[in-house]
Amino acid sequence: MNGGPALGASDKLTFLLALVPFLMDHDRISVTDVAAHFGVSPDRVRDAVNLIAVSGIPGETRQYLHGDLFDIHWDEFETNDLIVLTHLVAIDDSPRFSAREAAALIAGLQYLSSLPENADVDAIASLMAKLTRSASAAPSQVAVSGTDARSSIAVVQAAVRGGVQIEFDYLNARGENELRRVDPWRIQSVDRDWYLRGWCHLREAARTFRLDRMSDLHVTDVPTNPRSADAVPTETLFEGSASDQDVTVELPTSAVPLLADYAPYGAPGAHGDRVRRTLKVAHYHGLKRLVTGLAGVVEVVDPAEARAVVREWAAAGVARYDESEPTDAGE
Amino acid sequence: MPSTIEKNSRVSVEERLFSLVLALIATEVGLTKADILSTVQGYRQRYLPGGDNASLERQFERDKDDIRELGIPLEVVEPPDDPGSNHHLRYRIPKGLYELPVGVTFSPDELMLLKLAATVWREGSLSAESRRAMTKLHALGIDSSDPVLGYSPSLRVREASFEPLSKAMDRGQVVAFLYLKPGEAAARRRQVEPRAMVLHDGRWHLFGTDQDAAATRTYLLSRIVGPVVTVPGASFVAHGDGQGQEALSELEALWTANIAVIAARPGSDAAVRLSKRVAPGEIRTNADASALHLNFTDLNVFADELAGYGPEVLVHSPAALRTAVRSRLITVRDAHTDFDLNVHPDTTTAADE
Repeated sequence: MNGGPALGASDKLTFLLALVPFLMDHDRISVTDVAAHFGVSPDRVRDAVNLIAVSGIPGETRQYLHGDLFDIHWDEFETNDLIVLTHLVAIDDSPRFSAREAAALIAGLQYLSSLPENADVDAIASLMAKLTRSASAAPSQVAVSGTDARSSIAVVQAAVRGGVQIEFDYLNARGENELRRVDPWRIQSVDRDWYLRGWCHLREAARTFRLDRMSDLHVTDVPTNPRSADAVPTETLFEGSASDQDVTVELPTSAVPLLADYAPYGAPGAHGDRVRRTLKVAHYHGLKRLVTGLAGVVEVVDPAEARAVVREWAAAGVARYDESEPTDAGE
Repeated sequence: MPSTIEKNSRVSVEERLFSLVLALIATEVGLTKADILSTVQGYRQRYLPGGDNASLERQFERDKDDIRELGIPLEVVEPPDDPGSNHHLRYRIPKGLYELPVGVTFSPDELMLLKLAATVWREGSLSAESRRAMTKLHALGIDSSDPVLGYSPSLRVREASFEPLSKAMDRGQVVAFLYLKPGEAAARRRQVEPRAMVLHDGRWHLFGTDQDAAATRTYLLSRIVGPVVTVPGASFVAHGDGQGQEALSELEALWTANIAVIAARPGSDAAVRLSKRVAPGEIRTNADASALHLNFTDLNVFADELAGYGPEVLVHSPAALRTAVRSRLITVRDAHTDFDLNVHPDTTTAADE
């Protein structure tokens, strides 16, 4: 990595450069209002104002004399927590986006544009054009294809907005199919997968559901229950559970990132360019799919029971091909 | 590198960078390096008149890069009367190129959409870039419309290679890396002009010109094994915008052209999940998922996915996909078979609840 500034310094500089034109447009504004507008803490605003107020340009004398510095109404700031810029230097408008900043927003818009709510293609295209014009260099070439927006997203979305329960058959990761009735709270996507977070009336607990595991989804006319305080949705979709089991796998060092979602940790017994890692899995039902999907890369070494489950899974798959006529390739 | 001199100065990094930006915007003709080091806040405290300022000069070089990284157009001007002279180069930031162009405004609805677009990136460098872009947008003082409720899309960049590849792309640098092509056993070194980073079908791809093949190639980031290095002295001229869209259309075309016919065991995971992927309007031979038509981009990547479904899926066609899935299943079965043991371990249902 090259020695860029600590993330903090780039962010702080950007904040200073953005804050000046904003304060210019607001003759008198409270620290808390500025903090709310930028989504930062009041202390961060105070620190920035304190720095801006003593900054400026070297000037003719090269001495940073008073007239070459920004100035604020200090009494208002210190007594009333109000910001009043009284002298400006050098800058008076917001800086352009960098090529990468514009690219990050454009790629985010590309992703959103396939969702039902944002289907206004023209509006999104004009917004992307504005971002391109507002960047100091051509936006970096980062492109994102739309997500698979299925009708189920729109159905759940409507239920979230309407505050009504939904019902669906859910095939869980263990392979069990059950009818669920859920108070839908929030839809979340991670890359191309979509999840619903909500209150499951069957389990009487907050649960996360994959949209692609739902069948026969329909909206009821039963209003959702008021959400209890302890059921506030968290940022994390999945929580580990005490019943999780340890499984040790062996794989090439370079393939370790493929298991990032399972938070693997080191395990002894590595040799050559292969390493061992221990994963926590809720059940072997998911493990056998994971390992079989990484054929030739990941091997389960322990426990023997897990090895057997994987072997039987793969062997059953092979058997289906042995049963079917191999030369008959479909239609 | 924090030196002892740095410790003596009380000027913070952001104050030094802020002062440098202000000084370079305020000057019309530009400042020489000596001007900057001797007068600008954060440098002048450490400047030794007539002495060795090598470490301060290096500091300035790094600061210049960092400022440019933020999209601030820091220019170098050669003196017309003394071209080619390094000593009299002048630095400045043209105000017109620094500021958002006149007439660019965003409506509250647009701002709401941009906020949502920024939150799509949850981790990694693109989330830092989005956050800074939003800070700049907030400078305009627009209040956004209410965000859509109950809605939180996100994208991740898990691959460590994303960062060095996209940096090299922006700087027009040629990169080299070891690539383990899906379906091949050994990684091979590739030397590539990176032209676009593309997320398609849930996977990050690098689109670029392979210098050995002298042709356009698409690489899966998850298959780049080992570090991405820039090739010293090798640079290329950017291919212009539209590279990302070109790469996406190519992948899209592949996806459309490749169609697999598979049978999924009714009621299984495979049937429930894969049947959702059949494009609406697609002809299904029958409704019970016994012959699903599915598009795919890369045969080996799709074979990995289908193998994961084990006995729940049977590939009918194409034959190459059928063979690829079957051989993966055999590989997994054999890798998990202890040939030296004659005892067949008990395989009753493992660990439910």
